[in-house]
Amino acid sequence: MTTNGAPYAGQSLIDTSIFTTLQSKIDEESTVRDELKEIVDKLSKQGRTTQSILSRIHNVPSQSVGTEVLDPCMKALEEQRNSVSSLAEAASKFPFYKYNFVWQREIQNVVSSFQLWHWLSSGKLKSIEEVGEYFRGEFAILFAPTVPVNVKDADTFHITIEDYLLALCSTIEELARLATNSVTLGDHARPLQISKFIKDVYAGFQLLNLKNDALRKRSDGIKYSIRNVEGVVYDLSLRGLVPKDEDTMKME
Amino acid sequence: MCVLVDAIEEEHYTESKARREDDDWQQTSSIHPMAGVKRNRAEMESKEQEDSPSPYLPMFEHFKSEIDTHHDRRERVIKASRDITAYSKKIIFALQRTKEIGKPLTDRKALTDMTKLKQQIKETFEGVTDDLQGINAHRYQRQISPGIQEFMEAALFEHYLVNQAIMTHSEAATTIPAGITLTYEDYVLGIFDMTGELMKIAITYMATNGKLPGLQGGASVLTDMQTMRTQLELINAGHGPFAKEFEGKLRVTRQSVEKVEISVYSMTVRGKEMPKGWKPDINMRQPVEEIESY
Repeated sequence: MTTNGAPYAGQSLIDTSIFTTLQSKIDEESTVRDELKEIVDKLSKQGRTTQSILSRIHNVPSQSVGTEVLDPCMKALEEQRNSVSSLAEAASKFPFYKYNFVWQREIQNVVSSFQLWHWLSSGKLKSIEEVGEYFRGEFAILFAPTVPVNVKDADTFHITIEDYLLALCSTIEELARLATNSVTLGDHARPLQISKFIKDVYAGFQLLNLKNDALRKRSDGIKYSIRNVEGVVYDLSLRGLVPKDEDTMKME
Repeated sequence: MCVLVDAIEEEHYTESKARREDDDWQQTSSIHPMAGVKRNRAEMESKEQEDSPSPYLPMFEHFKSEIDTHHDRRERVIKASRDITAYSKKIIFALQRTKEIGKPLTDRKALTDMTKLKQQIKETFEGVTDDLQGINAHRYQRQISPGIQEFMEAALFEHYLVNQAIMTHSEAATTIPAGITLTYEDYVLGIFDMTGELMKIAITYMATNGKLPGLQGGASVLTDMQTMRTQLELINAGHGPFAKEFEGKLRVTRQSVEKVEISVYSMTVRGKEMPKGWKPDINMRQPVEEIESY
């Protein structure tokens, strides 16, 4: 039966338009990703500026931090906030979790910078709602009256709990570094303040049931930050360098 | 009694752990260890803790419940995805017993099994529909995706066996219960996997019938597979996680097509001399065994 000619030569009956449609869907998604990526790249560039300003805390004495670090940093953060607004506007047109891998990292970076800036200004932690309040910009007022954090119902751009907590881990690492450097710069009160803050935050992290994920790994690292800061505090207390309450007040 | 022992053991554990940490501490500290160090530190710590419980606990309590809900949902979806994968594999297995391509299925046993399996798949999907609504549709996409892909493979394979055609995306979407999204990614990855099944059925068919299945005016399973390969090779998958998966699957599809090509070659060249039931030697030219490991 397979003796004559070419029995298996012929045209397939497969409808190739299926693959054309597929290509156009893939292209559509790439276009969206590229559009979002462009905004995220801008945010990332601005983020490097913000972080370079913030990293001056490690060699600027506490008294001058306000003018030399916090003020310029605030301006840089405001620029980032505008980018977050544009991102929110662009991203809210699409399913949040379909594309959030594009911006996750940069959002965490900017939230972390903001958290650090705020801590240096006030010594306090910003809640996720307050973070959202800061970043909502004009977009959120127009499109969503509520603060876009941890959105559960509407599929819009927001800052997730995971983003917030991962950002917090970065802030803590930076503060642990500051504990050492502030002693070098002659500020003996700051390590105590940092130690208390990190321990308070870690107490919170210990409540969470974390699976073996990024958040688990990052938050496990807080232990080491605590130990490093305690080391600094211990060194100071051993030598009687820890300021009394009145001294702390005078310094502030 | 038992409880007491446990409690003592636990206490002992925490004590020894604390001691270990103290040891670590002394090693890393620049200060020489000296008497009284431990006590000082312990006092310092307990004093601080008594002074002020963390003000952030209520906030974290809230996160805790959110994160727990998330993990529970995620696990339900993973479980469903695994079950759907298992049921789909059984469907594919039943489909491999098909005798002719391009005709309605006739194997009664296979049809009964498949109806039952499809019902189980439907119920499993429906069990997690609530978990995959609105914003969560894409949130747990990575967890449900393997199940959907395997089911797509089964649905596309069945459709091909009956109609000798590829089901379109919109047709495919109707095979999944309402409320579950069929992404284009899962659909196309299902097509890739289906080519592997086509390879298996083509080779079995050739071994038993001495010709290619699905012969229709020159077209056959082979020409269909070659067309799919060409069309899939034409696609630019872009970059990102999907593109990587796409490349990997394309490699396997190429091998499947070549495996059938070689079998047909060997059948046309030497098959005539062989008695009926002779299996073509598929490993004659290329190291195709590795396909099985995918």
